[in-house]
Amino acid sequence: MAEIEAFNLVKTFGALRAVDGLSFRVERGETYGLLGPNGAGKTTTMRMLAGLSPITAGTLRLAGIDVAANPRGVREQLGVVTQSDGLDDELTAVQNLEVFGFLVGLSRREAKRRAREVLEFFDLAGRADDEVADLSGGMRRRLAIARSLVTEPRVIVLDEPSTGLDPESRVRVWEELATLKQAGVTLLMSTHYMDEAETLCDRLAIMHSGRILDEGTPPELVARHAGSLAADIRPDAASREAVRAALRAAGQPFREVGALFRVTGRDGGPPRLPALQGVTVTERAANLEDVFLTLAGRGLKEAEA
Amino acid sequence: MSGTALDPSNAAPVRLRLRSVTGIWWRHVLALGRVWKVAVTWFAVEPAFVLLAVALGIGRLVGEVEAYGSYAVFVAPGIVVGTAMFHALFECSWAAFQRIQQSVYETILTAPVTVAEIVLAELCFAVTRAMISTVAVGCFAAAFGWVPWSALPALLLVSVGVGTVFGGIGLLFAALSPTVHALSLVFTLVATPLFFFSGAFFPISVLPDWLEPVAWGAPLTALVHLGRGVALGQLDAGHAWAVVYVVGLSLALYPLAVTLLRRRLLV
Repeated sequence: MAEIEAFNLVKTFGALRAVDGLSFRVERGETYGLLGPNGAGKTTTMRMLAGLSPITAGTLRLAGIDVAANPRGVREQLGVVTQSDGLDDELTAVQNLEVFGFLVGLSRREAKRRAREVLEFFDLAGRADDEVADLSGGMRRRLAIARSLVTEPRVIVLDEPSTGLDPESRVRVWEELATLKQAGVTLLMSTHYMDEAETLCDRLAIMHSGRILDEGTPPELVARHAGSLAADIRPDAASREAVRAALRAAGQPFREVGALFRVTGRDGGPPRLPALQGVTVTERAANLEDVFLTLAGRGLKEAEA
Repeated sequence: MSGTALDPSNAAPVRLRLRSVTGIWWRHVLALGRVWKVAVTWFAVEPAFVLLAVALGIGRLVGEVEAYGSYAVFVAPGIVVGTAMFHALFECSWAAFQRIQQSVYETILTAPVTVAEIVLAELCFAVTRAMISTVAVGCFAAAFGWVPWSALPALLLVSVGVGTVFGGIGLLFAALSPTVHALSLVFTLVATPLFFFSGAFFPISVLPDWLEPVAWGAPLTALVHLGRGVALGQLDAGHAWAVVYVVGLSLALYPLAVTLLRRRLLV
């Protein structure tokens, strides 16, 4: 039995289909990522799982429990870290955890013990009695993750766990999530950072406009959509137009990203570059960003067609 | 904790779960406890000034109120009830609105808690605040001899009604207000007019004929009437109707608050 199962999941807001027939399975102990731009439907999917958003159509199950039929049962098994952290500014750091633990089902005494334990694990014990408002962004995020752990849930849902954090806090959050993964917790996370997806996720769904464009492990996705090699072409301002024309003439897929032309291979092979002058070409291993740009570009074209 | 989810008793989402209500109530007590030094001024200092100014200052000019004796004796139960109203209303409008905006409810809802339980917990805490306020202002008034000490338990019972009615009204405003500016209407349109036109400061019979029935229909009037009745030990059939009105209004407000808050929180 899969830990999380979504089948033909739909969520509409008026005329907008925010989630449009989504199906995926997350196995026990797996870290599964929903990768996509804002508006792809990642947050809505997670909110439906957490019972914060009524499901329009389709089914969603956690550990075999149907979310629509038994939302309470689902939430007993689920830890949720929302994008906003959802910390309670009127309480101290430790009170945030204690109250939440009690609400889920721990006795007050047990909630207090677990709150201290989890703060210790997240290296926040020294800030236990601090105002939440006095904590840094990184600490707030870690406190929110700590809160989701107080009751030792089977599954944790994280909506963009490292958005808005400085690089150091980001790595720290990643390390802590890796520890949870090792402990066998199933993680469902959303992100729009390719490096985060590549570092943390066993499998990924690339989402666009409420649909999954493709799904697989990061290397699978890279091999399938970007080949093994990619190239970055950095022309000078004068040769931009010529490079564009030459790539088009060669039938070579590319995307212009800032000062660069990103060129991916085709059919698993390396990119075929026409002879170019006045440019710097850097060949590199293809990565998820290439996949995303390729797929999202295709998805956009389909959507517009 | 695994295994509990398969318990069929959890399959009924409509069933109310006591733990949700006590947990949220505990959260509110903790939050209030952290600001207790300031809270003392809300509960005791401010109403004490109002009571002193009205009972001693205005009371000296007014002299006696027919059938009640001194103006202080007339006005004290009204101020006890009116102050409790402000607490219940503030808690469930302003404070609840902040909890909506700051995703506090959203986090609570990621625990196995329903919106109906949030509403119940808010009403319980509104009652709690109304009771604390009633004890504080009631004791102050009793110390001056304006309310008999023996009437305090009955006044506490009235404050339960104040908490459920005005907690419910406050939640409606919290759930419906798009912004803080809109929310301020709860004070300009509800709290202040009710405080002055519900018989707390003068008998409703002195109002113009056309305004009298309106004032009697206002939600604070029945509660002020009950408060004054129990304070003076003069109860009649009118007070029985007041109880029916308060209970009925509370029962009507609860499902409405649940529906509107659900619409606001679960999108």
